[in-house]
Amino acid sequence: MAQVPVQTIHRDPQLFYWILFPITIVMVLTGILRHYATVLMASAPKKLDQKTMREQRGLVHGINVRGNFHTLSKRSFNARRDALITAYESGAYLKDPENQGQPPPNPLSDPGSMEGMMGMMKNQMAMIIPNTLIMSWINAFFSGYVIMKLPFPLTIKFKSMLQAGVATKDMDPRWMSSISWYFLCIFGLQSVFNFILGNDNAANQMAQQMGQMGPQTAQMFGPGVDPNKQFLAEAENLAVIDHYSVLDNVEDRLLKSIRV
Amino acid sequence: MSSEIELQIAPIVQESLMHNSRTFQNLQSLTASLFGVSAGILGLESYSGFLFYIIFSLLTSVLFYIIRVAPTSISSGKKPLDTSRYFLGAVDFWTGGLMNGLAGFILTWTLFYGLVSA
Amino acid sequence: MTFISKAITAVGGILLAHACYSAQEHSALQSFRATSGAALTSAPTTAVSLPLDIVLETIVSTFIILLGLVLVTRPLRPIQWREWAGKIEREGEEGFKDSNGEVNKDYIGNPFAIFESRPNFVDIRKQRKEFAQWVKKEGGQKAQ
Repeated sequence: MAQVPVQTIHRDPQLFYWILFPITIVMVLTGILRHYATVLMASAPKKLDQKTMREQRGLVHGINVRGNFHTLSKRSFNARRDALITAYESGAYLKDPENQGQPPPNPLSDPGSMEGMMGMMKNQMAMIIPNTLIMSWINAFFSGYVIMKLPFPLTIKFKSMLQAGVATKDMDPRWMSSISWYFLCIFGLQSVFNFILGNDNAANQMAQQMGQMGPQTAQMFGPGVDPNKQFLAEAENLAVIDHYSVLDNVEDRLLKSIRV
Repeated sequence: MSSEIELQIAPIVQESLMHNSRTFQNLQSLTASLFGVSAGILGLESYSGFLFYIIFSLLTSVLFYIIRVAPTSISSGKKPLDTSRYFLGAVDFWTGGLMNGLAGFILTWTLFYGLVSA
Repeated sequence: MTFISKAITAVGGILLAHACYSAQEHSALQSFRATSGAALTSAPTTAVSLPLDIVLETIVSTFIILLGLVLVTRPLRPIQWREWAGKIEREGEEGFKDSNGEVNKDYIGNPFAIFESRPNFVDIRKQRKEFAQWVKKEGGQKAQ
């Protein structure tokens, strides 16, 4: 079996000082900058008028009763359920009861919902602008250098990604150019930011994208949702609950726990 | 259904749960970078490097258990190696950190591998 | 505690840095020997693996830093309400000091404190008795 000779490439050690460290430092500093920019740009939660607040809290009340029914006794749960269902079905908590049957307004025309969209836009911008800037900066200055060797082998498919701008046929795909060091930094710097900025930082865009996957609570009162339909659904949910209490058979459990 | 009732009888403090898992995750991501440094210094390649990472992150879990979890949880009547006083899932506790710190590990591994064996 | 763990981490860091430097020097020496030796003797130079002492130093220092980092972590909190509430009630602020001896920011005290002081649970007879005793005592002092 013929031994495949290990490719060695003699690189100038200056490559480390002039490519690797600048990219890393710039990535870290951009992360910190992004964190503080997000903190500064975070707009304070808007004050809601009384009607809107009542609508939201009415719904939250129903959800809480549904979630915690086991701590209520049967009588008080039934009283709450009846009151909430009648209120929901008559639309007592609605912000404007007169347009109950109408389709929800266009979210773009509502100034209140524009605010939320602007906030999201700002976050997106804070992610996209630095990324494109750094990408083009690396491409302009550092493209075409082979700087490092990955410690684990990869298939040939990664060659075009890792060795962008080098374009040689015979080089092992383990050798990587500066742009792939940039990608590694994007994925791996989270722990560094955790260490520098504390845990809830906004520095890493990966974490932000994860956060955007499941913002269900924000969607609940989002624009374009008909509150009347939410109320009716909630009334149905409340109606089908099969009530039991945590205090059922509590005396048996107590006796069992104190009998050694 | 029975486990749901169990949870309702003995409810869980969400804040404590979050505090615990955040403490543990911080430790894991920090130590993953550290393991990357030492794997790079040792010049490990491919499988041996990942094996190094797996062994040491399991070691982290064990150390964390011995120092932070065991003293109070055993005295409160839990069996050894039972983390249910502080964490919900046992599998999550013992192996959850592997994915958590992998990216940081690869970053520092590559960096120090490149620096040392230049 | 915090000083010990920080000292442990620092010692481990120094050891790790030393190991890193040694390994770097070793590989530099190897590559130098490979280039200079190839000119003299045509014997194939094999890559010499890292000496045992550097390997040991790296692993030991990693372990030491790991120990230090685990020691700095904040103490955990029980996740069951009954144990958690019991801890709050028994230890108070003492149980929530972090490694610097400061009380944690998110410590809010007993979350059920409001139930202890609600008016339904006030023992009005006991308070009345105390008040009567106080009046008697004060009145007796004034009369004298």
